[in-house]
Amino acid sequence: MLKLDSVHTYYGHIHALKGVSLTVNEGEIVTLIGSNGAGKTTTLNTISGVLSARAGAVYLQDTTRKAGEQHGNGRDGDIRLDQLPAHEVARLGVSQSPEGRKIFARLSVQENLAMGAFARTDADGVRLDLERVFELFPRLKERLSQPGGTLSGGEQQMLAIGRALMSRPRILLLDEPSMGLAPILVQQIFQIIREINAQGITILLVEQNAQAALQVADRGYVLETGNIVLSGAAGDLLANPQVAEAYLGI
Amino acid sequence: MTSSPATVQAAGTEGRTSLRQFTRVLGAVILLFVIWRVTTVGLSEGYPASFWISQALNGLVLGGVYALVALGYTLVYGILFMINFAHGEVMMIGGITGYFALQFAQARGWMEGPWAVVVVALLLIMFIGMAASVLIGVTLERLAYRPLRQAPRLVPLISAIGASLFLQYSVLLIFGVSPHSYRKPALISGGLRLGDVFIPYTGAIIFVTSILLMLALYFIIQRTKLGRAMRAVAEDRSTASLMGVDVNAVIVVTFMLGSALAGAAGVMLGFHNTVVKFNSGFLPGLKAFTAAVLGGIGNIPGAMFGALLLGLIEAIGPSALGIPTEYKDVIAFSLLVLILIFRPTGLFGEVLSEKKA
Repeated sequence: MLKLDSVHTYYGHIHALKGVSLTVNEGEIVTLIGSNGAGKTTTLNTISGVLSARAGAVYLQDTTRKAGEQHGNGRDGDIRLDQLPAHEVARLGVSQSPEGRKIFARLSVQENLAMGAFARTDADGVRLDLERVFELFPRLKERLSQPGGTLSGGEQQMLAIGRALMSRPRILLLDEPSMGLAPILVQQIFQIIREINAQGITILLVEQNAQAALQVADRGYVLETGNIVLSGAAGDLLANPQVAEAYLGI
Repeated sequence: MTSSPATVQAAGTEGRTSLRQFTRVLGAVILLFVIWRVTTVGLSEGYPASFWISQALNGLVLGGVYALVALGYTLVYGILFMINFAHGEVMMIGGITGYFALQFAQARGWMEGPWAVVVVALLLIMFIGMAASVLIGVTLERLAYRPLRQAPRLVPLISAIGASLFLQYSVLLIFGVSPHSYRKPALISGGLRLGDVFIPYTGAIIFVTSILLMLALYFIIQRTKLGRAMRAVAEDRSTASLMGVDVNAVIVVTFMLGSALAGAAGVMLGFHNTVVKFNSGFLPGLKAFTAAVLGGIGNIPGAMFGALLLGLIEAIGPSALGIPTEYKDVIAFSLLVLILIFRPTGLFGEVLSEKKA
C-alpha cells in the first residue's frame, strides 16, 4: 500500500535519510525502530510531505484506480506522494499523529477532533467516526469543551491519535505514541493501536520503545543514522541478538 | 498606567535587576506627571460634562475605525509573525477607491435619491472600497511576503515598509498630491442633539458598522470551519497541514479578511475626515498598529479593546493633560513607547507568551 524507494532527505546540508526503502502492506502494523536521531521522524515527515525528499520516491497505492496489485510498487496505479504538499498527502488518506502530540493547545478537544476531519465533507461519516473515537477514548468525551492544552500527557496522546483517526485514514502514521507516558498508559496505548488495526487501518508505527512496538507489529525495520540496517518479521527481530543488544536493553 | 514592570523577565543578573528598578522609577515618575497634569491643568479648566462626553464619543468613533485596521495587523501577525507595515496603505487604497465610487454615485444623482437608494449606494461604495483593499492585500502577500516566507523575520518587515512607500507614491503619481474630498450625502450630514452633546450621524454609523464588522469577524474566527483552520494554522502551521489544511490558502484568506476590514475603515475614515490622499493611510496605520500592540499583538479581542482605548485616550488626552489638540499624536505614540517599555506583550499579552513557549 505504501512504499518508499531509496528516499534521501536533507535538513539544509545535513543528510538525514540516506536511501531509505520500506514497504507497508494493507492491513499490517509495521514498526520503524531506532535510536534518537536515526531519522524515524524524518521518515514519517517525508511520507507526509512536511519534508520533501531530494531523491527517491514515495508511492501510495491508488485505490481509485482499482489496481490489480496489492502493494504500491511504483508501477501504474500508484501515486507519487513525494511530489505533493502535506495537505494533499493528508487528503489521500495518509494521516499522521506527530511526535510530541502537537495538539492545538488553544482549540478545544472538540475543535481538535474537527480539525482531524478538516478535509472531509461527509457529515454523517464524521459523526460516526467521532463516536468510534469516543469508544476508543471515552476520556475525550468528558473533556470536549476543554482547551487541548489543559489535557494531561496521556489524554493529549489519545487526542492526537483520535484526531488522526478523524480523517478516516487508509494508513495511520504514529510517531512515538508512548513517549513520556506512564507505563500503565503505554500498555493501554499499544492495546488501542491493536484495536485500530483490527478495524482495518494500516499502521506505520515509529517507536523508541522497541520491545512494545515489535510485540504489536507484524514486521519491523531498524533505522540507524539514516539507513535501514535490518528488517524482517517482528518476531524475528525480537529474537535477533543484535536488536536485543542495541534496542531492547537486554 | 501600572508601575509594576511585571514583564521584565527573571531578574537573574545584576543588570536585569537595575533595569527593573529603573523602569519602576520611570513608571512612577510618568504616573505622577500624568496625575499632576490632569489635576492641576485638565480639571481646572472647568470643561462641562457634555464636553467630556462629546470627546469620548469622538474617541469611540475613531477607536472603532482603528480597531478595524488593528485587526488586520493582529490577524496577519497571529499567523505569520510579521508586521504588515503596508496595512495602512491597504486602508488608504480602500478610501481612494471609495472616493471614486462616491463620485460615480453622485454623478448619477443616487446620493440625492430616496433614502433606500442612498443606503444601498453607500453600502455599495463600502463594498467597492473593501474589494479594492482585498485585491491590494492579496497582491502584497503574493508578491512582497510569500517569496520571503523562509527568510529571517526582519526581511519581510523591510519588504513591508518598501511596499508601503511603493503604494503611497504610486497613488501620489496616479492621483496627485491634492486631497480628494468626500461629500457626504444630505441623508447622513446632520446629527443627533442630546442636550449639549452632539452626535453626528456619520459618527454613529461608523461606530455601529465597525462593531458589526468586528462581530462578523469574531463569528468567522470562532464559529466557522475556516476560522478554526485559521486558529490552527496560527498555532502550528505544519501540524495544520497534516490535517489537510492548505496553509497558503489560509494565509491568503487571512490577508483578505484583514484587508476587507481595512477597506471598510478607509471608506468610513474618508467620510469622517472628508478627505483622502496618498498618505491618508500612514498615520491611522501607525495608530492602529499602536492599538494592536496595546491590546497584545496577535490577540483579536485585544486589538478591538486596544483600539477603542487608544481612540478614547487620544480624544480625551489633550484636554485632560492641558496640551493643544494638535499634539494628540504625541500622546498616542508616547503610549506606544510606554507599552513597549512596561508591558511589551500588551494588555492581554499572556496569549503571546503562551504561543512562544
